[in-house]
Amino acid sequence: MKRETVEVDVLIVGGGPAGISAALHLAQLQKSRGGTPLAITVLEKSKDSGSHMLSGAVFDPSALHHLLPDFESLGAPLGPAVHEDRLLFLTEKRALRFPFTPPPLKNHGCYIISLNRFVKWLAEQAESSGVDVINGFAATEVLYDGDRVVGVRTGDRGVDRGGERKLTFEPGVDIRAAVTIFADGVRGNLSKTVLRRFQLDAASQPQSYALGFKELWEVPAGRVTPGTVMHTLGYPLRSEEFGGGFIYGLAPDRVSLGFVTGLDYQDPLFDPHMTFQRLKCHPLLSGLLAGGQLLRYGAKALPEGGWNTVPQCYIDGALLVGDAVGFLNSLRLKGIHLAMWTGIYAAQVALDAVLASDPSAVRLQAFQTLVDDGPVRREMYPVRNVHQGFRHGLIAGLAFAGLSLLTRGWWFRDPVPNLIGHKRMQTMAVYHGLDGPDRNSIKVPVDRKLTFDRLTNVHFSGTRHEEDQPGHLLVHDLDICRTRCREEYANPCLRFCPANVYEMVEVGDDLRLQINASNCVHCKACDIIDPYQIIDWVPPEGGGGPQYDGM
Amino acid sequence: MILVIAEQRDGALNRSSWEALAGAQQIGGKIKVAILGVRLDRPAEELAAADVAEVLVLDKDALEQYTADGFVHALTLLIEAESPELVVFSHTYQSRDFVPALAGALDRALITDCVRAVRRDDNLIFSRPMFQGKLMADLVALGPAPHIVTFQSGAISADTLVYGDTSAPRRTVPVIFEAAALRQRPEPAFQEAKQVVDLSQADRIVAVGRGIKSAEHLQLVQRLSAVLGAEIAASRPICDMGWLPMDRQVGSSGQTVAPTLYFAVGVSGAIQHVVGMKGARTIVAINKDVDAPIFEIADYGVVGDLFEIVPAIISELESLP
Repeated sequence: MKRETVEVDVLIVGGGPAGISAALHLAQLQKSRGGTPLAITVLEKSKDSGSHMLSGAVFDPSALHHLLPDFESLGAPLGPAVHEDRLLFLTEKRALRFPFTPPPLKNHGCYIISLNRFVKWLAEQAESSGVDVINGFAATEVLYDGDRVVGVRTGDRGVDRGGERKLTFEPGVDIRAAVTIFADGVRGNLSKTVLRRFQLDAASQPQSYALGFKELWEVPAGRVTPGTVMHTLGYPLRSEEFGGGFIYGLAPDRVSLGFVTGLDYQDPLFDPHMTFQRLKCHPLLSGLLAGGQLLRYGAKALPEGGWNTVPQCYIDGALLVGDAVGFLNSLRLKGIHLAMWTGIYAAQVALDAVLASDPSAVRLQAFQTLVDDGPVRREMYPVRNVHQGFRHGLIAGLAFAGLSLLTRGWWFRDPVPNLIGHKRMQTMAVYHGLDGPDRNSIKVPVDRKLTFDRLTNVHFSGTRHEEDQPGHLLVHDLDICRTRCREEYANPCLRFCPANVYEMVEVGDDLRLQINASNCVHCKACDIIDPYQIIDWVPPEGGGGPQYDGM
Repeated sequence: MILVIAEQRDGALNRSSWEALAGAQQIGGKIKVAILGVRLDRPAEELAAADVAEVLVLDKDALEQYTADGFVHALTLLIEAESPELVVFSHTYQSRDFVPALAGALDRALITDCVRAVRRDDNLIFSRPMFQGKLMADLVALGPAPHIVTFQSGAISADTLVYGDTSAPRRTVPVIFEAAALRQRPEPAFQEAKQVVDLSQADRIVAVGRGIKSAEHLQLVQRLSAVLGAEIAASRPICDMGWLPMDRQVGSSGQTVAPTLYFAVGVSGAIQHVVGMKGARTIVAINKDVDAPIFEIADYGVVGDLFEIVPAIISELESLP
């Protein structure tokens, strides 16, 4: 089929903090340089800017100060400034406050924000600077000329569930660019293929991921002072599982709370969503939320591996930035500012390449220098081994995190090796023994006031997809689900998916995997942790997905 | 010369043909307008009121009912005879159907769905929206004339049409091709029967959920709906599996209903379903799971096996005088 082609100078795939910062900074650089305006295009799968964005979020404004020094007068929707940090260790009934807040968790100068409102605003700044932000169109393929990236293809629209063209069919468009910047987020569908094709992570450690849940609550006024930041460790996680909870005071009657857990757990029966419900039943949270009301729900994976897992970020014709390549500081629990910094650097390097008509990897390598010489490495390098330390359990991890602050990150083995998360999951037979005790049998009753089932939670994510379209969760071998996986891992997809996408339904005497793709909140957890690696997350028809607002 | 192809059906001109004509006038130069079909006196006379050089009438029995083949044949001959620089259509369902084939037959450039045409230097530049209007692409047709263009409906106001001082001359153009050359034979026009059920108007609804277990058990709820005089509706999994058509789905991705009676059979009452039916006056629920959320909103609830309870209700209702 012949497709339409659009030519631009710089194409940015993904309209998150990294992508929009790149686009906006390009427009700024272009403006101060003068001359013929560059065509700068951002392609974003969400229907509106920011609506697929999900984060806690405590925001370090350093990159924003650099990008838009007058952000306050421009109306940046930042929430309250952080005025109190608390780190709590939870036992089943109690919350013990750490005697001091470890330096990385001190958030003085930071703000509590809604990432999707912030990104929506940032995208408006970019658009008013002349950037074309194209919402509602997903990039589905990378276009190559030999081994040089020359752009992307957008997904076809108007295809029915059987793959046939509907009356509304529109073929995807080829967007060709001198430089393409992949900012497609954690486990981005295109950066994933680019990383594999060029083995960009050959010299770095494999990425490790976590899954974050978030709920936005309206509570009776006065429960939490706005600007209060609380992080919890311990209950309901066991020492072997990485993660913790967060509670952020947004407004006198508005609380953002959530839970992050490593997508590298060993117990196949571990249920992240259920664990989050148990956290909410802890007296610390149940007291806070009593009489309140759930407003929004969301879930999203995040890259936790740190500096040693950042792959090579430049190839002929393209750069990779932000969460897509793991620019996140898991000790500080922050990545938005790092995403923005890497977007800003990519803009500088891309402009230089466009003006020199040379988008070769050799020239784009300047991106690495900017990262190495600036605040990104300064922040990420000293904590490069911390996440890996938690592999040996919470206590070891904490001790390690503390020690590494003294040694500036040095350890006897440096880098501390990292393992691929999905390979850590053990089989039922190994982990539980053939008829061993099931430590996951403690189920939390779902009252739909404090605790929720997945399906009800999904409703609060506002997720919608065009119903009549091909499935976007490709399971390459459905037989494995009903045979090997059922026996070896007891179908962990039923538990790791935060949106009830996967269900095993009875068909006569047999079971069959049913994929409720319309529930998908685009978190990517399944693509990451499925032990057989047979689930491939591809973008659904553009515009589908969660509709986060205020998250 | 610009050749505009007007569209008519049973002698009535398509309104967007006036827009195409106005668009051609804005480009400027000599304009001819052609019309195809049979019994074309009236539309040809109407077209002659516009400020055009000539109205060309292609009257042929084989063109009475539209076929892509017939129109491509007739217009290929016309365009070869008239050799215009540009051929203009409005972007209708009909032109979407055959104009790409015409461009292929003539081996000439086609630009579709334009909203604007401007002359810049020596080039005629056409603008068309991309990415649902987010971007406007400027295109120049390459290759030898005539180039072919279609204008988006509503993009150019028909009010800007310039009328002539006198009626333009009309000329009947012979259309010579063998009817046998046509590979398509039209069936009588039909209107697809509208099968979409408007559940929002239903007074009584029997809704079925996953508790029904398999498609063959649906006849049980069909019998219940028959004795109650109710419409059948379903929760999402049932429509997802194709057991009932999508237009029977109630809930956030289906219809919103507010009947007097809502009889939920094996429906768990997930919030996605409840938002579509909570306005029902009386809700009756049968579910084997006592914790099913449907019982939170049901006025009458039966906890039990629907395969025992529904038949009992049916026979009770049937025995009513």
